Amino acid sequence: MKVVHYLNQFFGGLGGEEEAGVGPDTRNEAVGPGRLLEQVLGDDSTVVKTIVCGDNYAAENLEAVMELVVNEVRDSEADLFVAGPCFVAGRYGVAAGALCAAVQAELGIPVVTGMGVENPGVDLYRQELYIVDSGENVADMRNVLTRMAAIAKVTASGEDVGRPAEWGYIPRGIMRDEIVEEPAAVRLANMIVAKTQGQPYETELTQTGFEPIPAPPAVADLSNATVAIVTDGGLVPAGNPDNMPAIASTIWGSYDIATVDNLEGEDYEVYHRGYDNRHVLNDPDRLVPVDVLKELEKAGEVGKVYEQFLSMTGLANPLANSRRIGQEIAENLKSAGVDAVILTST
Amino acid sequence: MAQVTAVTPVAKMVGSNRVVQGKGIVYPLGDAELDAEEEKDLRRAIVRQALEALGTEV
Amino acid sequence: MKLTLAIHDVSDAKLGSGTSLDGGVLTVDADELQESILQDRRIQSVDIEVANPGQPCRIGVVFDILEPRAKEPGTGTDFPGLLGPMAVAGQGTTHVLRGAALTVVDAQQEPGIASKMMEMHGEAAANSPYGNLHHVVIVPRMIPGTPRHVELNALRLASARAAVFLGSAGIGQAADSTEEFDLDGPSTNRDGLPRIAYIGQIHGHQMVVEEDERILYGSNTEGMVPLTMHPNEWMDGAVVCSYWVMRVESYFYQNHPIIQELYRRHEAGEINFVGTVATVAASLEADRNRNCLLAAHQAKWNLNADGVVLTKYGGGAPHVDMGETARICEALGMKTVVQVSDSSGDRRAESAMLFNYPEVDAIVYGGGGDIGWDAEPVERVIAGSPTAAQELAQMRHIPAQALCGVTNQQGASVVRAVVY
Repeated sequence: MKVVHYLNQFFGGLGGEEEAGVGPDTRNEAVGPGRLLEQVLGDDSTVVKTIVCGDNYAAENLEAVMELVVNEVRDSEADLFVAGPCFVAGRYGVAAGALCAAVQAELGIPVVTGMGVENPGVDLYRQELYIVDSGENVADMRNVLTRMAAIAKVTASGEDVGRPAEWGYIPRGIMRDEIVEEPAAVRLANMIVAKTQGQPYETELTQTGFEPIPAPPAVADLSNATVAIVTDGGLVPAGNPDNMPAIASTIWGSYDIATVDNLEGEDYEVYHRGYDNRHVLNDPDRLVPVDVLKELEKAGEVGKVYEQFLSMTGLANPLANSRRIGQEIAENLKSAGVDAVILTST
Repeated sequence: MAQVTAVTPVAKMVGSNRVVQGKGIVYPLGDAELDAEEEKDLRRAIVRQALEALGTEV
Repeated sequence: MKLTLAIHDVSDAKLGSGTSLDGGVLTVDADELQESILQDRRIQSVDIEVANPGQPCRIGVVFDILEPRAKEPGTGTDFPGLLGPMAVAGQGTTHVLRGAALTVVDAQQEPGIASKMMEMHGEAAANSPYGNLHHVVIVPRMIPGTPRHVELNALRLASARAAVFLGSAGIGQAADSTEEFDLDGPSTNRDGLPRIAYIGQIHGHQMVVEEDERILYGSNTEGMVPLTMHPNEWMDGAVVCSYWVMRVESYFYQNHPIIQELYRRHEAGEINFVGTVATVAASLEADRNRNCLLAAHQAKWNLNADGVVLTKYGGGAPHVDMGETARICEALGMKTVVQVSDSSGDRRAESAMLFNYPEVDAIVYGGGGDIGWDAEPVERVIAGSPTAAQELAQMRHIPAQALCGVTNQQGASVVRAVVY
């Protein structure tokens, strides 16, 4: 295999932080950890190019470095691109992740990198890349490179890489169904016995953390504000004009309420399999409270009720899809001059 | 944005900043056990709470 | 409390004259079974068929699957509060037709994304825990114009009645084996062993229960508060599925995989299985707070548990309630393990969870979202309507989530979604 390897200034032998501003330099041979990489990859592999670049330079000129690296990899007809390992060096990890992702996307060849789990490059690129868990100890270099080489070889041969714990990479968060030996009842019992006795156990899923969302400032004067109603409860006009699905909608709809003072069940349908829809069908105001909001508009408590309500179906919706729909709805309402939103969720 | 929901733990988990307690999953702004007038009073109260949340810094 | 199961092995089933169990062969007299089911005047007619493993045959839409069982006369009530008079289940002797199933078809439901079916041969059948059972299938048909909730109530009663009718074939027969369930049994000293409880949801009220729905001792669970129960009660007819079924069958209440596994560990001297709490997921926030708190506190103060296994019923909203209950358990000093079923449409772990509590860090994750089996069209279909029959007959792919038992949430499933 022909391999192109990316290193920062430290591992490329140029020096420490004082050399972090150095621009990319391409050598036609293995450098530093690259020699070890050649060893662990085996006899038929050669590092044909090593690109060494300072961490600050890469951080500040990422687009240019990406273009350069992709071109170098293409020109050398490489079969594999390796970056790092980066351990817990943050700028190095972020650059290595970006470069691997770019090479993978543009050239479709196997790529692999290594980082400690705390490296900020992990959160950015774990879903796209095989990132070997390098820990933080640089003395583990041989061990880390051996695991990177193993993953590189398997991906190059077109086979699937096995489970993260067995292969030593950071879980990418991709789920695959498998038929296992032990039914869930046995796995549950194993885990509760281990947990109550202080023994190690391995959860089958790690929970998802959410970044805090900056709160927008308060609406200064509601009596002058335009307020919109948005729902994820799947309410749509009778006939379902946008073909809203009853689970995990990829679309959202915007429906006129300019001339109605309350919603009548006969005019609406609910597309949402996650709750019993009968009560909302009897009176849609229980989900989309047009009746009281219009009253409050007449009483001057709110300036204006936005003339459309927006609706989608939240049930079992993938996070990426929900984020996109949220973004689109926010942009739509913002450009329509809406000042505030009441979101109703089932 | 103020979010009215009967499943507040999920709203809080994803980072919703202005969460208002809804009545039930099957009717966030209603209650089939009440008569029509009482139910509308309840809905008005929940909407007013949402408006109050919108007008309050968090 | 001691429950004895008198196990009668069933190795074949057929229709014939005079219902009997002879040398492992279950003969079902369709006229007799029909007469038993038609005691319910709301049911106009009932089709009765037998489907044995390995036969090219499909069944759908499945309302529920039960194990044919009947109480030894004088030792208790069959399905107390639902079919028989109220009594506390889980005591005495129950005859079990092991290897047989009573499978009930809902004639009013057409096949669709939320419906369930059975495949009796090939790879799909090999992957269902019901694939190797001898199914006696009933298709009750109601008097036209029967309201849906009445129809469902009739289906529920018919399922219990037919299961008991078949199970009665074991009464008076010598059992092939017996199983005893007794927490106080063989007097092992369990001091110092971890005290383990099970908290299981039996409904999720985002699906509104019908007034005449029969779930727990005949009650519909509306207004229910968490109830401390002996494990035997679950297995002996106290609980059946609600009308809203998602990855659950009454068969696995009778053969509750988690309760049975905890019993095994209890008898092996590995744990002290201290009991169970039945609870429901809520629609109303007030109910959620009440149920989650009371379920956790009952495990703590009634059962003195050190560790708790929790499962949910149905989909997303019950997932939240289970997470809340687990969080409260951990706060009370009890360790928890929870089971979650796959709901990540994009097969991404980030979309999988509806709670995020660092202490609820032991998760068993069931799969099923992207698994299924190719199948050939079949000629024999046991279905509720010609259109359902046609649709089922022509299926060429059977998704795991459509096939009974594969993605079961009561602990039976061997499909796991592994995070890569």
